[in-house]
Amino acid sequence: MLTYSAPLRDMRFVYEELLQGGELQSLPGMEDVSPELLGAVLEEAARFCEKVLLPLNQSGDQEGCRFENGQVFTPKGYREAYRQYMEGGWPSLSCDPAYGGQGLPHMLHCMVGEMICSTNLSFAIYSELTHGVYELLHQYGTDELKSLYLPPLAEGRWSGTMCLTEPQCGTDLGLIRTRAVLQEDGSYQLNGGKIFISAGEHDLTENIIHMVLARTPDAPPGTKGISLFLVPKIVPQADGAPGPANGVECVSIEHKMGIRASSTCTLSFNNAKGWLIGKENQGLRAMFLMMNRARLWVGLQGLGLAETGYQNAVHYARERLQGRALKGPVKPDKPADPIIVHPDVRRMLLTMRAYNEGMRAMSVWAAARLDHSERQTDRKTRQEAEDFIALITPVIKAFFTDLGFEATNLAIQVYGGHGYITENGIEQLVRDARIGQLYEGTNGIQALDLIGRKLPAHAGRHLRTFFQPLEAYLNKRRNHPHLAPMVGAVAKAFGRLQRASVQIALKGMQDPDEGAAVAYDYLQLFGLVALGWMWLRMSETALAKLENDPQGFYKAKIATARFYMEKILPRSGSLFSSIMAGAPAITEFETDRF
Amino acid sequence: MSAQKVAILGAGVMGAQIAAQAANAGLEVMLLDIVPEGAADRNILAKGAIDRLLKMQPAPLMLPKFARRIRTGNLEDHLDWLKEADWVCEAVIEDLAIKQSLYHKIEPFLKSSAVLSSNTSTLPLAQLTSGLSENLVNRFCITHFFNPPRYMRLLEVVPGQCESSGLANLTTSLDHGLGKTVIQCKDTPGFIANRIGSYWLQWGLLSALELGLTVEEADAALRPLGIPKTGIFGLLDLVGLDLMPKILANLQQRLPADDPLQPIAQIPDFLEKMIASGFTGRKGKGGFYSLDTSEGKRVKLALDLASGEYRPARKPDLAGLSAARREGLQGYLTFPDKAGRYAWRVFSQTLLYAARVAPEIAHDIHSVDQAMKLGYNWKYGPFELLDKLGVNWFRQQLEAESQSLPEFLEKSRQFYQIQDGRKWQLGFDGQYHTIQRPAGVLLLEDVKIAGKPLARNGSASLWDIEDGVACLEFHSKMNTLDPLVMEMIEKAIAIVARDFKALVIYNEAQHFSAGANLGVLMFAINTALWDEIERLVAQGQSTFKALKYAPFPVVGAPSGMALGGGCEILLHCDARQSHAELYCGLVEVGVGLIPAWGGCKEMLRRHSEAADRPGGPIPPVSQSFEQIGLARVSGSAFEARNFRILDARDGITMNRDRVLYDAKQLALRLCENYAVTAPPAYHLPGPTGQAALDMGVHQLRLKGQASEYDTEIAKHLARVLSGGDTDLVDEIGENDILGLERQAFMHLIRQPKTLARLEHMLDTGKPLRN
Repeated sequence: MLTYSAPLRDMRFVYEELLQGGELQSLPGMEDVSPELLGAVLEEAARFCEKVLLPLNQSGDQEGCRFENGQVFTPKGYREAYRQYMEGGWPSLSCDPAYGGQGLPHMLHCMVGEMICSTNLSFAIYSELTHGVYELLHQYGTDELKSLYLPPLAEGRWSGTMCLTEPQCGTDLGLIRTRAVLQEDGSYQLNGGKIFISAGEHDLTENIIHMVLARTPDAPPGTKGISLFLVPKIVPQADGAPGPANGVECVSIEHKMGIRASSTCTLSFNNAKGWLIGKENQGLRAMFLMMNRARLWVGLQGLGLAETGYQNAVHYARERLQGRALKGPVKPDKPADPIIVHPDVRRMLLTMRAYNEGMRAMSVWAAARLDHSERQTDRKTRQEAEDFIALITPVIKAFFTDLGFEATNLAIQVYGGHGYITENGIEQLVRDARIGQLYEGTNGIQALDLIGRKLPAHAGRHLRTFFQPLEAYLNKRRNHPHLAPMVGAVAKAFGRLQRASVQIALKGMQDPDEGAAVAYDYLQLFGLVALGWMWLRMSETALAKLENDPQGFYKAKIATARFYMEKILPRSGSLFSSIMAGAPAITEFETDRF
Repeated sequence: MSAQKVAILGAGVMGAQIAAQAANAGLEVMLLDIVPEGAADRNILAKGAIDRLLKMQPAPLMLPKFARRIRTGNLEDHLDWLKEADWVCEAVIEDLAIKQSLYHKIEPFLKSSAVLSSNTSTLPLAQLTSGLSENLVNRFCITHFFNPPRYMRLLEVVPGQCESSGLANLTTSLDHGLGKTVIQCKDTPGFIANRIGSYWLQWGLLSALELGLTVEEADAALRPLGIPKTGIFGLLDLVGLDLMPKILANLQQRLPADDPLQPIAQIPDFLEKMIASGFTGRKGKGGFYSLDTSEGKRVKLALDLASGEYRPARKPDLAGLSAARREGLQGYLTFPDKAGRYAWRVFSQTLLYAARVAPEIAHDIHSVDQAMKLGYNWKYGPFELLDKLGVNWFRQQLEAESQSLPEFLEKSRQFYQIQDGRKWQLGFDGQYHTIQRPAGVLLLEDVKIAGKPLARNGSASLWDIEDGVACLEFHSKMNTLDPLVMEMIEKAIAIVARDFKALVIYNEAQHFSAGANLGVLMFAINTALWDEIERLVAQGQSTFKALKYAPFPVVGAPSGMALGGGCEILLHCDARQSHAELYCGLVEVGVGLIPAWGGCKEMLRRHSEAADRPGGPIPPVSQSFEQIGLARVSGSAFEARNFRILDARDGITMNRDRVLYDAKQLALRLCENYAVTAPPAYHLPGPTGQAALDMGVHQLRLKGQASEYDTEIAKHLARVLSGGDTDLVDEIGENDILGLERQAFMHLIRQPKTLARLEHMLDTGKPLRN
């Protein structure tokens, strides 16, 4: 059985000490969001996750979802947990008060999200998709649709899905075939099939609201002819009371490597009634809002699972007695020393720790910037925050899920053979983590997004929001008496990132393969530097507080930073070499010889 | 011998502008028109025309003072002036009787070697010359200019029976002097360009109505075929909506009954109503597009063809356009949306028409292609387009629509081919013939067909143009100077020093160079690569210096725009052979910077070395300051000479096609006794000069002519041009000023307002004054 204790101390360090509350209180509507308030909510969330969600994680994985006659039943205990989740008001945390929300910041939502992902990723999928649909509808829906659908979504009484994938159409949405025909009453009639729909059918909520991409009859081919529709499982009446069942049918559910308590459905739309969201043929733009938010959240899944992996690995490494420390027994009174004495085990634990705390700082910072991007009144500052989010989204999605997979895998390694045994629960983390690298756009696609869209746009304007402040930060601390060595290490990696960026921009302009072939390396390099900066900032904050450090929290922070700088960041060198070597080794290999 | 003196009869829009272009060419010009009844000033029409010439935009005169080369007179008192004229060009109203009576009236005054030409666009030569004396018929031809004559390179000539030496002399004047590409045409209605062009415009208009495209959609839909962005409706607005019915009526009257233009020549009712109520395009109350300035902003409006009302213009969203980028022309013309359908409908018929009439109107297909490219600014001529599409493919498409094909198209496989390093065109006889270039025309286009570059990268190439001369060509986007161009310059210096005698820097794009690649600069700023930017600046400085002190002559041969870095590279050449159309200047302050590739040091040197400069140490500094500080751009090569960007030994070529040849000759002349330039020494006023310049800027600021940030930039510019902390008694060198340039540049590049200017320029192509 896995154990978990929410990292509240570290979260507080990040949002309060490192980020000064994300400077959110200067934003309109956020005046009351004090660190005290955040702390109180997080404690509540921790209790819910530790006591309610975690105990269902392994049983849910073993039982899985059950499909019977078009209906899906979630594993034992999920309905009850979901009821408590609703009663606690969790679904509406960062929703708009005008439509049933509590108006709290994304920054808070992000930390709660990490805890939910740590304790029960399958459960998280039901709840988080609903939030994505809420935001999408909030931005693009008509007032009528908004007042009918948003409050029950905020309440959690209704849940949501995103329906993109079809059998012939995964990454390439231009191939969508589902048809939507305008009806006399202004609604549309949808016909077609969708696959891999998370939470497409289940027994947790009264209604399920599907966001469906489809084509109208005279739509131009390709991605320019795709429209977005709201299709409810049950068509609500004007007052929100349940109306007739809609033509949406769950045909089957998938058997999967992980997230087994989450239902992954094949849906069939048969003359289903739907409503257009946004304008015809502009569905992708709207859907991308939801998808981009979802990508940030998938990044959190990597962090959440890695945190649970780390905690359990530490626990195991302390308890498991095997052999002796190489320099002589540490616990001579025991039959053997705990394996935590071994440098290689410590290497693995520190790697996980350095990843997790770095990712946490990065994700909370990004979430705070997301709040700024929505609420800033100054146009330029808002634009900068938007640029930053656009830039960092593919990095967070891909880099964090890669690290999440690596970290959970290391957790198994710490367990040795016991990690491979289902009963111990640790292997579930790896299986659950694996999906993050695949859905919401594979990590390869994220890398292409980074180099193909984000990097060249407006001659690199998005990059400015990361590169210029980092350069200024490093420049100011070059001669810092205590930080200087770390500043040097990050500056070195950053220099590589800068030069790699120019290399890709120049070469990629002439040959798209040149960019594409090194995109993955570039994203990894970007992620390493981003976490490097986070570790530098955390060290600076911790350094100032070393004098009052009874628990050794700050000392450990600085020690972990050192590990990151000396043991992880140097990977930037090999990534840089690979990027500069360019595409030929990849593109010139004859396809027939594979 | 070419014409020295020309008389233009008729001072209307065309006559006056032809006079202006002749004056630009250095000819002595007489401009004559009738004496209006009761006029106090009997030359009032010609004089009024000169006044208008000086106000017109784009300017017909390359320098205002060239107006003094035009003598104004009238057709009653000054007929004896005609005795001096080598060429008399008639540009009066399109009325056969009036024209003929004028010919009779002037005949006695023409000198025996003079050629008389008419600028008619609608009347056949046979009619114009009927009833004229044989003597006059043998000296008569049609010279059909396109509007505006200074800027449109096409000149259609119908030689008639004009005797060959007179015609040859006139052609030389038109070609070398006025800079026109002379295309000989047969004596048929509308000649070449307007015959095909009128069909295209009318059919494009009708097709848009029939297929239900908006004007913006129709204009955008033709762009993939190389049609300028004005498209059909924008062009009709430009030439005047009222002109179309006149041209069409004339063509309808004179073309045979089975000409495909006949059944479509009727003007739609709504258009007639528009014309009748003064909506005649840009010159009238508006056309298919209009500008709404009522609320202080300029809002572009477009005419809704269905309702006849104006509404704000919309950016068309046509799926076919991305298909065109993805799949090429064939994919586009078969793409099943309105863009694809419209483009196919318009161009299938236009190309058919061109293929049908070509043998009747032109001597060869190359003339037809040239006429459409130079007269209508098409990127490809009709036969080039057919080759691009694939003639077989085109034929199959038409056969599928059961359209009948003209014989010439039926038999043809490919209209142009490359063989033995030359380009051949398919003649109407079914044989391939080489394309002849006039003597003194050297085109890189031909050099490229004949061989491979000496060196090449993504942004520039080096070509062998024979006789020991190499040619450096930029071909980056907008010919901006990026690191690859710099690399190629360095390579060129090494190759030329080893294997050649001289280097010409030239290209055949519309514009010589838009300057430094701001995108690359912006990217470096965005990634905070400050040291890399400084390296780029220093690299540019050293590369341009290497060019200047190379052990062989370097000739810059620009045409069109040469801005910022594009101007600086010219300043580092030994000499320049410029096309007359040169728009050149150091415009860096527009993006919040100063010239830092040696532009400041070169302008200082030029203003201090000029023979006619005012005395004292300050004028070169203040002249450079004014020129760079106000980002002055020349309106012609002659003005660039006034700016001292061109100097006394630099040449100016009127004809675009002759620039490279002339530049090569200049380079070869410079090879004789070539000595590397000696580095100049500077005596600059230092802080006192800077204070004086700052005061001037302060005045501008007070008058509201400079923004606060302009003042800030000017301060840095003043420091560079005054030599920093130097003193008049000190001697400083080029490197000192280059250091100051670099310092000022690196300071400005980090300022948020410079960033905002750069961003605005990249996003909109226009400078921002913040």
